Amino acid sequence: MSELWEVLSEHLPEFSSGLWVTFRLVAISFVIAMAVGILIAALRVAPVRWLNRIGGIYVETFRNVPLLVLLIIAFSGLPRAGVPVSQWVAGTACLGLYTAAYIAEALRSGVFAVGRGQIEAALSLGLSYPRTMRRIILPQAFRTVIPALGSLVIAMIKNSAIVGGSLVALPDLLKQTREVQADTFQTNEVFFWAAVGYLILTLTATLAFRYLEHRYAIRR
Amino acid sequence: MDYLIDSSNWEWLWTGNNFRFILEGFLVNLEIALIGIVFSLILGLLLALMRISKRRWISFPAGVWVDVWRNLPLILIILYLALAVPTSWRQAYADAVPGFFPEALQDELVLGALLGLVLYNSAVLCEIMRSGILSLDRGQREAAASLGLTYVQQMRFVILPQGLRRMVPATVSQLITLNKDTTLVSIIAIQEVIGRAGNVTSSAGFFGDVPAPVLQVYIVVGLLFVFVNLALSRLSRRLEIRERARTGTKIERVSGLEDQVAAESDLAR
Repeated sequence: MSELWEVLSEHLPEFSSGLWVTFRLVAISFVIAMAVGILIAALRVAPVRWLNRIGGIYVETFRNVPLLVLLIIAFSGLPRAGVPVSQWVAGTACLGLYTAAYIAEALRSGVFAVGRGQIEAALSLGLSYPRTMRRIILPQAFRTVIPALGSLVIAMIKNSAIVGGSLVALPDLLKQTREVQADTFQTNEVFFWAAVGYLILTLTATLAFRYLEHRYAIRR
Repeated sequence: MDYLIDSSNWEWLWTGNNFRFILEGFLVNLEIALIGIVFSLILGLLLALMRISKRRWISFPAGVWVDVWRNLPLILIILYLALAVPTSWRQAYADAVPGFFPEALQDELVLGALLGLVLYNSAVLCEIMRSGILSLDRGQREAAASLGLTYVQQMRFVILPQGLRRMVPATVSQLITLNKDTTLVSIIAIQEVIGRAGNVTSSAGFFGDVPAPVLQVYIVVGLLFVFVNLALSRLSRRLEIRERARTGTKIERVSGLEDQVAAESDLAR
């Protein structure tokens, strides 16, 4: 038991800096995922067929490719094609674009849940299509999909470990854990604290989204 | 863009047996996924039955167990088990693997990977199954009980057949995630598709003089996953439509508990 605390007190700087990197990685990726996700969802519900198709191809591609393969393509493949990509760009862009496909799907189902009557009413009041989306449909769609967004954020926290475990090797919690383990060989103790770190992040996200859901969600 | 479509950069694909070599690696991933899903379904069902138990000393520990494994990154679990599983277990695994299994799965390292995949996915599947069971009207259970069925009979003939049917779509999307997650075992040096793709791009031996370009090789690997996963989701949609036509009802479905929610709204509408 005392060894457990010893490992923590001796390697607290590594663990906390890893946790901070993981947090920033998830936060930046979430912003990217939201922006791209909204765009793709808008394409998928647009009343133009070829726009739907583009959105569909994006979603089916990014949802079905392993994140690890995306990371290798971005970090190792693209530089050889003459596109230099830094660690942070590769990590956040891959995690963001990957999650965007899921967010787009969640938002799309939210948009459909709003109901045709609302769109028709807004259009008949003379609002343009983009305006109808922004003012009438999306605010309601967001509130319907809060639970889905919550579980996607948790999935993102867990997937962020793949960035640190892959050759991108951002110094996130997983990467730091591996280094401390390689230093000390106290596998059980080191991984225990890594697990605690990840649980702090995922459980905080769970509680935050439970609050948002309680406060804003529309149940259908 | 020129680099991407330049035919000399695609030459590796039909040179020697590169493509076959990668394809065989991909087969290892599919096998790991298949074994993983079978054991995850069994363990997941057990955990789900424990979680819905009325006895708190059974349901509480099962709940904590599930919540912990479900909220940890899979790659962390695999890495830990690869380091921490005692040699004697691994030896026992290597001895116990049936001989008809492919060579890559005979490796004793695979034990950690499989354990990790099963621990994580059984926890996720447990939640899916539990909500499938709980979504049934309680009248079903009460009617079964009043007909004199025992608890086991109620579960076996009334509750599970209906509850589990509702979780098929969610289970398929979890299976797709599991399939993608099998690439993570490359971190503990199991020779699956990522490892083999690495071989093709790095060693000249496989390719003669020209090194295979990383970008193109991994695009091919990604496409393999897209094909298989798309086929899986199409299949599940087909099944659901057929089931709906056969029973003449709209099947309620459980969703939102896969670890990456894949809402397919065109069916829900």
